[in-house]
Amino acid sequence: MAVGATVFIVLLELILKFNALDPVLWKQYLPVFLSGILTTLRFTGIILPLSIAVGFAVGWARISRFRSITWPLSVYVDFFRGVPPIVMVIFAGVLGPSLLPARFRTSDLGINIAAFVLALHSAAYQSEIFRAGFMSVPRGQLEAAQSLAMTRGKAMRFVVLPQALRLSVPPLANEFAVVIKDTSLLAIIGGFELFGSSNIFTQQVLLSAGNQLEWLFVVWTAVALVYFIMTFSVTELLNAIDRRYHVKGLEAVSV
Amino acid sequence: MIRVEDIEKHFGALHVLKGVSLEVQKGEVLVIIGPSGSGKSTLLRCINLLIEPDSGRVFLNGTQVNRRDVRPEWVREQVGMVFQSFNLFTHLNALENVTLGPIRVLGTDPKPAEAAGRELLARVGLADKWNAYPAQLSGGQQQRVAIARALAMNPKAMLFDEPTSALDPEYIREVLDVMAALAEEGMTMIVVTHEMGFASSVAKRILFMDAGRIIEEGSPEEIFQHPKQDRTRAFVGKILR
Repeated sequence: MAVGATVFIVLLELILKFNALDPVLWKQYLPVFLSGILTTLRFTGIILPLSIAVGFAVGWARISRFRSITWPLSVYVDFFRGVPPIVMVIFAGVLGPSLLPARFRTSDLGINIAAFVLALHSAAYQSEIFRAGFMSVPRGQLEAAQSLAMTRGKAMRFVVLPQALRLSVPPLANEFAVVIKDTSLLAIIGGFELFGSSNIFTQQVLLSAGNQLEWLFVVWTAVALVYFIMTFSVTELLNAIDRRYHVKGLEAVSV
Repeated sequence: MIRVEDIEKHFGALHVLKGVSLEVQKGEVLVIIGPSGSGKSTLLRCINLLIEPDSGRVFLNGTQVNRRDVRPEWVREQVGMVFQSFNLFTHLNALENVTLGPIRVLGTDPKPAEAAGRELLARVGLADKWNAYPAQLSGGQQQRVAIARALAMNPKAMLFDEPTSALDPEYIREVLDVMAALAEEGMTMIVVTHEMGFASSVAKRILFMDAGRIIEEGSPEEIFQHPKQDRTRAFVGKILR
């Protein structure tokens, strides 16, 4: 955080000669900024775990031997990969509530359905990451575990899963960064997360007399920095996990 | 101890085993030879039920085991297996590979399991490699760890599926020596191998398989020096040359 703030001030004050900490601006913007950050964190906190759970379950189910489960899931994955998330957010947010009985319709129902759909969208991608992880564990590993009298469940838990998850961590870091940044899509249907609330704030600032254009740059730089810090923390966390479970002798070949 | 009666196996249109029967007594070493694709590996996998035979019966100490009411795990606890490609668990070090079965399947406490594991690694000549990961070991070392891993379950019999075929020539000896020592100690073994020296000195009986059938059975001398069947003669001629 401290590093981010320093970069922010140096960038705007020293290079662009902006008054990044202009009290007139921050007096108005700070509450919007903070509640925007909190809302973004809240959506991320819902979407990320949900998408991991669904993505993992779907990825696992798709390697199962039962064709009757695997093909509907492949339709699900193809659908969510093929439709732009912003279109899904609009559909879910606008039409979603009318599909539910009237008594469930609260004011933020549309946004929550849209957040749920964003989770399903990322889950489709994550399921492919997990599936690739599972498929890259050689069949001989399962055979060896079974020949030690392990049940399928134990073989999965102690032999296949640890190896599959290890291979999934680096691509997951990628996907998690996308999930965090994609919460900004909720702004299109009126979600007051960091991007949406800052967007409305800047429009109001521009319209009101006596305010300065350079505030736009200050606001958007601050917004960009927050997204950067959030994605960077999550990817660094995953990198730490990756290093923690590094297996000796399995280093990538350097050419 | 192990008896197989008339087992058949199809993989789709492929008829891999066409009625195979064999019997191995306690403490006996049986070697199976034959060209690739003859069904040797499938036969081994039918014995510990990694593959379920389409028909026929598999017995372990008189109990038919390819039945719905027998858990395959019950068979595999008693019959260890060693693979051509070692299949060591890549995310675990040598000692963890050896102790995983006892700890997670037999419920042995980690302390005694580790002590027993170190002893087994010493027995295969790898006491100092206990904390090496598979990728840090040579093929011969990996295969010896794999043998120790199977032995850690205290099996009554061991199946070896071409244990030296994936090894560089300089590592074959050390693996065969461990296997010969095991046979010496009275382990019941079924070994699929093309190592004629090993077969001659360790096995009492040799089976020659081709195209899903047992073509000929006999002592090493009978099979290698005086084969009766043309197909055996042709095959033995090729591998002895």
